[in-house]
Amino acid sequence: MSSVLSLQGITKNYGSLRALNDVSFEVPKGCVFGILGPNGSGKTTMLSIVLDILRADTGTFSWFGKPSSSDSRKKIGSLLETPNFYHYLSATDNLNITQAISGRGTPADIDAVLETVNLVQRKNSKFSSFSLGMKQRLAIGAALLGNPEVLVFDEPTNGLDPVGIAEIRNLIKELAAHGKTIIMASHLLDEVEKVCTHVAILKKGTLLTAGNVDEVLTNEDIVEISAADTTRLQHALQSFSGFTNIKHEGNNIQLFFPIGTANLEEVNRFCFEKGVTLNHLTIKRKSLEAKFFELTNN
Amino acid sequence: MLPLLKIEWLKIKKYPAFWWMFGIVALTYPGINWMSQKGYESAVSRKDVTGNVAKMLLGNPFAFPDAWHSVAYFSSYFVLVPAILIIMLIANEYTFKTHRQNIIDGWNRNQFITAKMIDVFIISLVTTISYTIVAAIFGFTFSDSINVTRWAEELQYIPLFFLQTFAQLTIAALLGFLLRKAFLALGIFFFYFLIIEPIIKVYLRIKEISFREFLPFEISNRLIPFLNFFGRVNKDANEAYKQSLTEINAHVLYTLIFTTAIWWLCYYLNKKRDL
Repeated sequence: MSSVLSLQGITKNYGSLRALNDVSFEVPKGCVFGILGPNGSGKTTMLSIVLDILRADTGTFSWFGKPSSSDSRKKIGSLLETPNFYHYLSATDNLNITQAISGRGTPADIDAVLETVNLVQRKNSKFSSFSLGMKQRLAIGAALLGNPEVLVFDEPTNGLDPVGIAEIRNLIKELAAHGKTIIMASHLLDEVEKVCTHVAILKKGTLLTAGNVDEVLTNEDIVEISAADTTRLQHALQSFSGFTNIKHEGNNIQLFFPIGTANLEEVNRFCFEKGVTLNHLTIKRKSLEAKFFELTNN
Repeated sequence: MLPLLKIEWLKIKKYPAFWWMFGIVALTYPGINWMSQKGYESAVSRKDVTGNVAKMLLGNPFAFPDAWHSVAYFSSYFVLVPAILIIMLIANEYTFKTHRQNIIDGWNRNQFITAKMIDVFIISLVTTISYTIVAAIFGFTFSDSINVTRWAEELQYIPLFFLQTFAQLTIAALLGFLLRKAFLALGIFFFYFLIIEPIIKVYLRIKEISFREFLPFEISNRLIPFLNFFGRVNKDANEAYKQSLTEINAHVLYTLIFTTAIWWLCYYLNKKRDL
């Protein structure tokens, strides 16, 4: 799979503060790439660098396999940090400027994107009269203009109400289903987990991990079991081998195996032979939240 | 260049301050010249010796060909009005963070500066057109049958007025780029234009230091020299006036160099710094 964006050794300092430290990763074509990290971890700094707003101190990056240029940015729909528009202009006039600069879409497409983000009724209202959520939706509309192949969203659901958040989440899923590459920074783990196929986790400017969500989240197999008699089940498991850790989660017991070694049939047979009938047997993936906290030690 | 011009026009055409500036220029340029003309008229209309002396001293600064020079000179004080607009147009980009969005959407950093230079050009052009119309109206109104045939003399003050306006608005643009806050840039521009540079000029004159013609505004102020009010009776003043006319060409060059240097600095800083 070819890379849409490739970063090699990006480092950025603000005075004595290192905002990004030797960050390298690739964003494959057609993925939904989530960039996670607590506040101040360097997510926006990183996106600002790849969009030519900030200068990296060292390192390089490329879009579509070529060094970054204004032409490459014209192919990318981006929402970075805050919605940035001319306050005295209407939604339509602002999108006319986006269209004229980027060359994405035609003036006729502007109504269509305003329809997509539910702003068509307010298309002639000044940007300064918009609520925070409406401003955010206009910024998403600007990014969608001309149906670009790549979208960069920095905290896309900022300022949106729950309905708006769900709409944007569905929109992102829909765009992904049409093969768009979406790069999305967020500190909302649930949001990322629901839509992303790939993830990178940053902490204090250092990349902790990056890759396919399944690979990042699954570094061990978790087998969750339960039986009517939990004490008997616990006793039986004392003679079972192969797992590295055991935990109690309410009425369930979780067995941790090295990745790829858990065998549900074997666990079931062993318990049955020990006289314990399982009423729950499943293999679980670690939640993104759990993984995130594990990696960031929060 | 044309696409940049179109985009800047999209930004400007619905900006209320632009039309306010246009309206204020449309009022102040005829206004200041009308006041000056009335002052002149009242001075020369006196029947006593003072009136005759005034007439001899002043000639008729609002008849052709002097109207081009006189109106340019009086109007040039009002560069403050378009300067407000330039500073606001540039500071707005930083306030709204659209200086970032324009780059994100696909401009390169040089295009952003070029776009602002186009703004300065447009505003200078609008201002110059206003000046030209006012000067033409005054010239045709106050010329006698002999003067009116000389309307095409001294037309060089039209491009000189444009260059002076462009150069001084470039200083306003630089302050907008450097300070990014409209009130701060406006405060410094006004304070320097109205107070600091005139004080420095007086100080340098008293100390007989010849550097004063290279002060940021003075360098282009000398494109439109002080009117020859006393040259008709004072030999030294007349010599000084003639000297100032001969220095115009040199100041065209100095102004072009100075203005180019400012824009080069804007391009350089915008390329290097984080947005």
